[in-house]
Amino acid sequence: MKKTHIVLLLLVVISLSVIISVFADFSTYETFSSASKQPGKTYYVIGMLQKDKEMEYDPKKDPNHFIFYAKDKAGNLNKVIFNGEKPRDIEKSEQIVMMGFQDGSTFHCSRIQMKCPSKYKKDMVAVGSSS
Amino acid sequence: MNTQFIGEHLVPGQLGHFFIITSFVASLFSAFSYYCAARTEQTDPFKSRSWWLLGRGGFILHTASVVSIFIALFYIIEHHLFEYHYAWEHSSLSLPPKYLLSCFWEGQEGSFMLWTFWHCVLGLIVMNTAKGLETRTMAIIAMVQVFLGTMILGFYLGPDIKVGSTPFILLRNSMQGAPIFAMPNYMDFVKDGSGLNVLLQNYWMVIHPPVLFLGFATTLIPFAYCIAALWKGEYTTFVKPTIAWSLFNGAVLGTGIMMGGAWAYESLNFGGYWAWDPVENASLVPWLVLIAGLHTLLIYRSTGRALTMTIILLVLSHLLVWYSTFLTRTGILGKTSVHAFTGDGKALTYHLIVVICILLLLSIAMLVRRWRGIPRIKTEEETFSREFWMFIGSVILFLSSIQIAVTTSIPVWSPLAKWISGKDFAPPTDIMAHYNNIQVWVAVVVGMLSATVLYMKFKHTEAKTLGKRLGITAIIAGVMAAFIGWGQHITTVQYDIMLFAACYGIVANIYYGIVIQKVRFKKLGPSVAHIGFATVLLGILLSSYNKHVISFSTTGEPFNFGKSTAQENAKESRENEILFLGMPVAMGEYLATYVGDSDVAGKDRRIYYKVNFEKRDSATHKLQEQFMLYPDAFINPKGQEGLSANPSTKHYWDHDVFTYINGATDKTKSDTSTYKSHLVSKPGDTIYLNNGFMIFNGFSKDISDKRYVPAENDLAVKANLKVYDVNGPVQDLNPLYILHDKQYINFMEDTLQQMGVKVRFANLNVKSKDSVTAEIMVKQTDPKDDFIVLKALVFPYINVLWIGVVIMVFGFFISLGDLLNRKGSGAIPAVKKM
Repeated sequence: MKKTHIVLLLLVVISLSVIISVFADFSTYETFSSASKQPGKTYYVIGMLQKDKEMEYDPKKDPNHFIFYAKDKAGNLNKVIFNGEKPRDIEKSEQIVMMGFQDGSTFHCSRIQMKCPSKYKKDMVAVGSSS
Repeated sequence: MNTQFIGEHLVPGQLGHFFIITSFVASLFSAFSYYCAARTEQTDPFKSRSWWLLGRGGFILHTASVVSIFIALFYIIEHHLFEYHYAWEHSSLSLPPKYLLSCFWEGQEGSFMLWTFWHCVLGLIVMNTAKGLETRTMAIIAMVQVFLGTMILGFYLGPDIKVGSTPFILLRNSMQGAPIFAMPNYMDFVKDGSGLNVLLQNYWMVIHPPVLFLGFATTLIPFAYCIAALWKGEYTTFVKPTIAWSLFNGAVLGTGIMMGGAWAYESLNFGGYWAWDPVENASLVPWLVLIAGLHTLLIYRSTGRALTMTIILLVLSHLLVWYSTFLTRTGILGKTSVHAFTGDGKALTYHLIVVICILLLLSIAMLVRRWRGIPRIKTEEETFSREFWMFIGSVILFLSSIQIAVTTSIPVWSPLAKWISGKDFAPPTDIMAHYNNIQVWVAVVVGMLSATVLYMKFKHTEAKTLGKRLGITAIIAGVMAAFIGWGQHITTVQYDIMLFAACYGIVANIYYGIVIQKVRFKKLGPSVAHIGFATVLLGILLSSYNKHVISFSTTGEPFNFGKSTAQENAKESRENEILFLGMPVAMGEYLATYVGDSDVAGKDRRIYYKVNFEKRDSATHKLQEQFMLYPDAFINPKGQEGLSANPSTKHYWDHDVFTYINGATDKTKSDTSTYKSHLVSKPGDTIYLNNGFMIFNGFSKDISDKRYVPAENDLAVKANLKVYDVNGPVQDLNPLYILHDKQYINFMEDTLQQMGVKVRFANLNVKSKDSVTAEIMVKQTDPKDDFIVLKALVFPYINVLWIGVVIMVFGFFISLGDLLNRKGSGAIPAVKKM
């Protein structure tokens, strides 16, 4: 066996073990209820903004405190506290991915990603006034 | 439905569409002709020559058509022909002309066109330089152009299957069924486009996409050469041009990636230049693979080894570009990327999968067919040889790219994983730590190897001299690392090791350049590129390790977090600080004060906010440094609620203060303060303000206000007011009172931004010559009503990173210059010996 082969084999073994071990890093998408089974552990929850519920954000009081309600994929409504500024356009989002953990009845969220209506979707045309 | 529409300009679109078809047919024709030319090269040189000429003609026609498509689309965008969906979608009347080009790359079709265009330019160069390999390389390049051409064809196969998407589609066709398009004069209502994404209205976005796409496009050339070599079964002539193209590619793609980083740093709110975002990774992975392939190719040139590996890597590099197009353009990353790329739906997904599969199968078929004929060397390389360690380094770069690709591709493979394990995999919650913890070791090994391999010779190296030289450099590097590590408080073990590797890379490559290459400029390419690489590593380490948020908020209730990791997260995101108008807030070693904004949003709805930063000596309170930052934001851009911010950064040689707005008051809605009336008659009368006062100094008719245009029968008077705050006089205010024709009253207000004061000279009451009373109306914004939410970070030594990139790219070009000046095709001694 060539030395190169031995070294290559070694590298492959190392990288395989690295790749397997990073699988432990990977998180999972959960619902509010499945996330509450392990309170304090951080997950991703995919949901939708509950638009008829009041959103609370007063930067004068605390610029890092935004409260809203979201419905997860299973249809459960949950209060969410995001410790950051209110993301722009959240009212228009179709879907929000929240990273955080469940604590009691609230979901503490530290990162939000939103999916907004696709700009390639040909559903709306903003028409300028004729005047 | 045969409505005659009024006000449309159909000619540019029809021309554009014509050129799309022409370019597609021409590339098909060129590919076929070149293929036939290659097939008949040995058997029938005369026939081959005719095919060759046809192939060339086809490619030139193709290039001309592609340029024409560009011109047609540019004409449409420049003339604001909003009857075209592309112009309507990506531009608007108010768009500054310098961003017209950016409209090209905002849209899917435009970026495919840019890619096609670069392939044409590169194709023409290859056509004139490839000589014996021209027919084969050009057949492959033209074939890829055919695939790319289908992306902008935009025709329907049956009612549901759409192939590609043309940029020349009309608005009324792209939104069929909308009632407005039933009106023949619909153009009277479409006055303006919806505008360019404000994030792209940035100078980096004008230059970054062309460079990045040139980098992507260039991967086609090494790919074409490798496939051509396999096709021909001849493995010597392709070496020199492939090395040259790979060097060029490494430089351009590397520059493109880092320009993307600079764009993110200058204009996005990631708070950094690199976030391991899938879109960034998608461009990094092909570069890593390319660099690995370049190094194995150098091994092949000097020793005849590692040819198979070279071909695999360089072919893969191009395929990965297609794969990254798939990742970033189809919307598959939707859940995981912050870049708001959205897809063109299923059609593009399948389209790209088909293209990738064809290219992949073709490459595999070529490789399998020639597998036995690829020259290999049976003997074993020595442990102390350059090729051995260079090969190891390449493999590690490759493995590193695999790791990045695996994590980035989570959305691609997670359906399969869900089917097997039942778990719905998501990216790691701490994505930075995930990548950093693995890639730091790649940085360490590659950093060390980048210096060490140069000290070894191909085939055999004297172990004693090697040990001595490496020992000296290691000691110097160790001292340097200890010094920096101590000074910068780098205490984490793996980052200390990385620091050493970076220092070692820098020191050893400088030493190599001076002592061994004797500063012969031509020969300095590798060591300069490697110094650059090591400097990049050092820059990344210094700027990221000690990057810190200085706008750390202390207002509000702290969260009750149970876990330490979550607490870290909480701390990380409590990074916004609220700044009320005129109220200084401590930020790190600075005192930051929001002193006002540009008030009126410009034509492009951009508002600049003025934030004053001061640093005072803690004992004497003497002002040590002072600067103003102007982070700006688009308020309600593109008809959306909210704001889109651009950062503002103060650059020092050793650190940057980086700020951006996360929130601001919308003045149209929140200003609740009202005017209060004050009467003044004699100089010295005082009007009190919330945080100061104003002294009246009489009237004057000497008006210098530029807003005022004198007219006949005008009586214009200005009131002289001086504003004071606790520190003394601040500014003079001169509101105007204008009486026209003795009956029409007009006034021009004066404002003092930093105190939120607006004064209006509302009335003038003349009783006698000596008794004149003026009514001054004063409005002062409650400072609590005018605030911004600011995030501020300090990046130490970020310039080291940028300098490193420049050095690295410079190194690539030195090597390229040296290679092109060298005569001969790059001999491969070992192959010849066989």
